[in-house]
Amino acid sequence: MLDLHEIQATVLRPRPAPYFGTHVLLRIDDAQSGRELFRRLTPHIDSADSWWRAVNPWLSVGISYAGLKALGVPDNSLQSFPEAFREGMAARARQLGDVGINDPKNWDAAYGKGEVHIGVQAFSDSEEDRRRILGIAREQINGLSVSILAMQDFGAQPGDLNSLGYKDGIDQPAIEGSGVDPLPGQGEPIKAGEFILGYPGESGFPLPMPQPEILGRNGTYVGFRKYQSRVGAFNRFLQTHGNTEAERELLAAKLVGRWRSGAPLVLAPDVDDPTLGADPQRNNDFNYANDLRGRHAPFGCHIRRMNPRDTKLTRLTDVKLHRLIRRGTTYGPPYDPNALSEADDEVPRGAYFLFISAKAMSTIEFLQQEWINDGNFIGIGDERDPIIGLQEEGATFTIPKDPVRRLVRGIETFNVLRGGEYFFMPSISALKWLADSQR
Amino acid sequence: MFMANQTQIGTAPAAELTGEQKIQQLRELFADATEVGKTALENVIKELSSQVSEPPPPIESAGRVGARLGKRSELTIIVPLVPGGAARLRTFLQLLGGNLSPGATKVGTLHDMRFVFFDNDTRLLFATSFDGDWDTYIDDFIALIPDYLDLMDSAWEGWPGIRDPGAKDYLIKHQITAEGWFVAEPDLTLAEIQRLKRIGKATDEFLDKVQ
Repeated sequence: MLDLHEIQATVLRPRPAPYFGTHVLLRIDDAQSGRELFRRLTPHIDSADSWWRAVNPWLSVGISYAGLKALGVPDNSLQSFPEAFREGMAARARQLGDVGINDPKNWDAAYGKGEVHIGVQAFSDSEEDRRRILGIAREQINGLSVSILAMQDFGAQPGDLNSLGYKDGIDQPAIEGSGVDPLPGQGEPIKAGEFILGYPGESGFPLPMPQPEILGRNGTYVGFRKYQSRVGAFNRFLQTHGNTEAERELLAAKLVGRWRSGAPLVLAPDVDDPTLGADPQRNNDFNYANDLRGRHAPFGCHIRRMNPRDTKLTRLTDVKLHRLIRRGTTYGPPYDPNALSEADDEVPRGAYFLFISAKAMSTIEFLQQEWINDGNFIGIGDERDPIIGLQEEGATFTIPKDPVRRLVRGIETFNVLRGGEYFFMPSISALKWLADSQR
Repeated sequence: MFMANQTQIGTAPAAELTGEQKIQQLRELFADATEVGKTALENVIKELSSQVSEPPPPIESAGRVGARLGKRSELTIIVPLVPGGAARLRTFLQLLGGNLSPGATKVGTLHDMRFVFFDNDTRLLFATSFDGDWDTYIDDFIALIPDYLDLMDSAWEGWPGIRDPGAKDYLIKHQITAEGWFVAEPDLTLAEIQRLKRIGKATDEFLDKVQ
């Protein structure tokens, strides 16, 4: 069993439904203020104790490497963090394939400059509670030399659909010892050490942990990535390749591997089944044993890439080693199926993702290189993830079909990266240690 | 004593020289070569002069060590063996008739591998080429084929074990980057080659049917 009272709630507790929230990015302008902020904030950070019960609202907090430095954390402790974390997400652009329009030089002003020190997340199931909990977070900053770099509300009403119009966040990894039985289709539980520091991972051993132990144990890493959805380009693509509403919706489902309702193509290959999509006991309860040739869910579709389950891969791969806990938080106006112009591509809407894992940096790099911006691992050459991939000129998407496959051209980058940071999400005890880190 | 280090040949980094200067440098180095060597050099220069002025894309670095061409990387390792290590490893290789096909095929990225014992079985040359970077999938190897790796590498002096955090550094320390390398189809991964073979077969079947 995990020390749930030590682990931050956001690590295990899923988004509420409906969900409302705010991301706050902060810069520590002097170490004393930074430590004071942690002292004040810590009592308001929820632990994962009884995380399966709906408790609303809650706050969580992460700190970047630049933040740890700004706080005056001792050097031997700083050096115990993994290299990619110390360098930061922008500096790892080459390993992440964040090039071209996703290049850090095109990011929003706050990101990638070593200025984002702290990320605070407020989650709630109502707008009223969101405001209340955010107010509590803001009070803690009063009178401190801490600057707010960015504040972004999130939430996707009605229906919690993402900015391209899909139900999201369905398939999460099951974690051993987290206190809850896996949902049907969630797969065998994965060793907790893959997601939370201080516990044995799939190899049988715990991953290296930041030192001292009180700082590392029960903590984890968060890859924070902001995407802008190019809704106009996405809709134009569907219009170009689908003559009727039904054809367009089937194509939209083929790209993801699920209908917009969340119903998986493997279980609902021909028409959407919104009841299936809405049922957490059934909407993830499948594998690819009956879809060996990708006739239902194309090999290149988003969910088959992100969790290939029992798909035969071209390379020796243990799919359990490359999973992330995802907290997708959609921002901006809801998806508009009639948005077709290039101006619609720039309407600020998209998602902030928290990708959580005890080895988030290397997992995100692996996913970006192998499963998102390549197709070789699943036998489809150079094709990339149609939803979150960075597409090159002439990109294609193959839909296996009888008698012959359909090759869809004109795939564009539908979600553009606009910023990103790595955070360490410390345990409750580690937060107290950080408040007192000048030693 | 052999040192697993990069050896720098020549006086200046080759990349900064023009084709003409590189040829001049080569002539200087061959000045005290045998007559056979000198004649051969002049004949080859005649043939290669166009290629030297317009060289093919150079091989790139595959991360910290090793060379890369297109999607393919090479890895060459020379290691001292523990006493008795050669006999163990050789007997293991012979168990499979020297053909590593069943296990190596599973990896899905290995194009070739060779094990060469030399210096009276005190050292081993291990050379392979494969798709992508080897360390991307190291956790998968550790999870899925740790015993194969440790069985082969335990003959190597100082091998810490594949699960040891120092395993990667050990390999890098003993790896030597190839100075020259040729890959006929550098953009074809093993998965692509297999896909093309399937397409070829399907095309033949189709053509047979329409006749």
